[in-house]
Amino acid sequence: MIEFNDVTKIYGGDVKAIDDISMTVEDGEFVILLGPSGCGKTTLLRMVNQLESISQGDIKIQGQNVREMDKIKMRRNTGYVIQSNGLFPNMTIEDNTMIVPDLLGWDRKKKKDRFNYLMDLVGLNPDDYRKRFPHELSGGQQQRVGVARAMAADPPVMLMDEPFGALDPIIREKVQDEFLAIQKEVKKTILFVSHDIDEAVRMGDKIALLRDGKVQQFDRPSELLIRPNNDFVSDFVGKDRVLRSMSLYSVEDLVTTFGLKNKEDTITDTKEISIDTSLRIAISMLLNQEADQLVIVDRQGQAKGSLTFDLIEKFLHQEVKGA
Amino acid sequence: MNAKKVTSYVIRLILWTLVIAFFFWAISENMFGKIFEEPGKFMELLGRHLELVSISAGLAILTSVPLGILITRPSFRRSEWLIVNIANLGQTIPSLAVLALAMGFLGIGLKAAIVALYIYSLLPILQNTIAGLDSVRPEMKDAAKGMGLTPAQVLFKIELPAAASSIIAGIRTAVVLNIGTAALAYLIGGGGLGVWIFTGIQLFDNQTLISGAVPVTLLAVLVDLLFRGIEYLLVPKGIRLARKSAMESV
Ligand SMILES: Nc1ncnc2c1ncn2[C@@H]1O[C@H](COP(=O)(O)OP(=O)(O)O)[C@@H](O)[C@H]1O
Ligand SMILES: [Mg+2]
Repeated sequence: MIEFNDVTKIYGGDVKAIDDISMTVEDGEFVILLGPSGCGKTTLLRMVNQLESISQGDIKIQGQNVREMDKIKMRRNTGYVIQSNGLFPNMTIEDNTMIVPDLLGWDRKKKKDRFNYLMDLVGLNPDDYRKRFPHELSGGQQQRVGVARAMAADPPVMLMDEPFGALDPIIREKVQDEFLAIQKEVKKTILFVSHDIDEAVRMGDKIALLRDGKVQQFDRPSELLIRPNNDFVSDFVGKDRVLRSMSLYSVEDLVTTFGLKNKEDTITDTKEISIDTSLRIAISMLLNQEADQLVIVDRQGQAKGSLTFDLIEKFLHQEVKGA
Repeated sequence: MNAKKVTSYVIRLILWTLVIAFFFWAISENMFGKIFEEPGKFMELLGRHLELVSISAGLAILTSVPLGILITRPSFRRSEWLIVNIANLGQTIPSLAVLALAMGFLGIGLKAAIVALYIYSLLPILQNTIAGLDSVRPEMKDAAKGMGLTPAQVLFKIELPAAASSIIAGIRTAVVLNIGTAALAYLIGGGGLGVWIFTGIQLFDNQTLISGAVPVTLLAVLVDLLFRGIEYLLVPKGIRLARKSAMESV
């Protein structure tokens, strides 16, 4: 658990980069610090591992005030990933990845096993990469190694500053998905800086939207999209926020909401859609198909009913606009 | 690119031809005779020359590398320009003037010569140490710090390996310059191969001049090669390969 209590950061006596922020990140929660450039995301993140001092208030990790911790020890026990990966060009991939275990004095065997495990986790073949150097890797591969390195000593807390920001969009989405799958397995407490609403919505359990050093809204992505607190939030998430929020719901949510039952008389000339599909995809399928309806099928291939624009609109009113 | 390669190849060919022609001429005219006539004296002058160079350059390395490290630490950042300017000033004074100044304070002899050569070697090493350490990307140091490396670990594991090639190049430049400049030590009674060079000039005695000048030149070439070898050994493989592949992709 990471607690921020009335945290303020003042640079050089007059620049208030962080203005009285209080919030709590629960264990195993993936929280995105979101906001426009210069709003204080990096500053807030770097105060947690004491790369920046805290001007006022305090930050606690597992109930312990970070100011009172041994900085070096605390940083070794906190994963840290930055945008341009920061891999060390003089070290092999294995040495890069194992730098913290090395500082902690792990023995050779333990380091090797850990390296193999982590490389498998991030989808790189350990033996292919062990002896290679960072410059021989693509941006996406380097960033995967950066993530593996941050997880090397199995820290409970990870701090990530736009870790995928330098990747091109297609690779970025792939790495995001991989990282989400990893997080499902490892369940770290994560603070993740982003300026990209799509990334935030895709990845975060919760989003803290910042502006001028203040938290505008700290909520689940769907809440942020559907019930923005103020004009800044609704502007930031965009005019297409309702459509965006559709990616947070699956066809199954709609089936559950309306209690659709198994259906026997399948219309054979229309396209099928699996209940795992997001509603955002469902809408574009309806648009692309130029069909009036899609047949919803469950994981057993059983038809559950037909999906139409009308039905989605009804769901939208009930779930999103309503309440 | 190709024309450039051809030009540099042709220039190199001409230079080597000249060098070989010179040696043919020198040997056929018995220009190195002095060395064989007075081998004892030659060894003494060579020994003194090496002594001048190794002590002054050694002390300069021991001063400039730590100083360069010190003033690139965050807490000294602000004093960096001051120290670099002072060192720059030292370099703009001609080597002869540095010798004269050293003589003014320390009289004539070995000590004054070593001090003058020492001062003259400080700057290239200092400059390259600072440039090398400054070239380490800030994100790299930040990542290292954020992962819990102590300042000393950041220096030794990250910064110095990255700066090694620049620092060694600075040392190489300083030592090669130093070998040439050490010939001037004769002028303030410092000895070394300059003794034969200047005697040869004064007496219009080509044999003495060349018996002093050619060994100085060969020494400089040898030391240059030696430091290139050291650079190859000390610069981490990853950095060497990265630089090579960056150069090839241009
Ligand atoms: N070291 C610093 N000294 C002075 N001002 C800074 C420093 N670092 C950041 N700032 C200022 O603090 C504000 C927040 O910066 P930052 O946390 O980097 O924003 P973000 O990561 O959201 O883009 C900006 O106005 C920036 O100019
Ligand atoms: Mg930032």
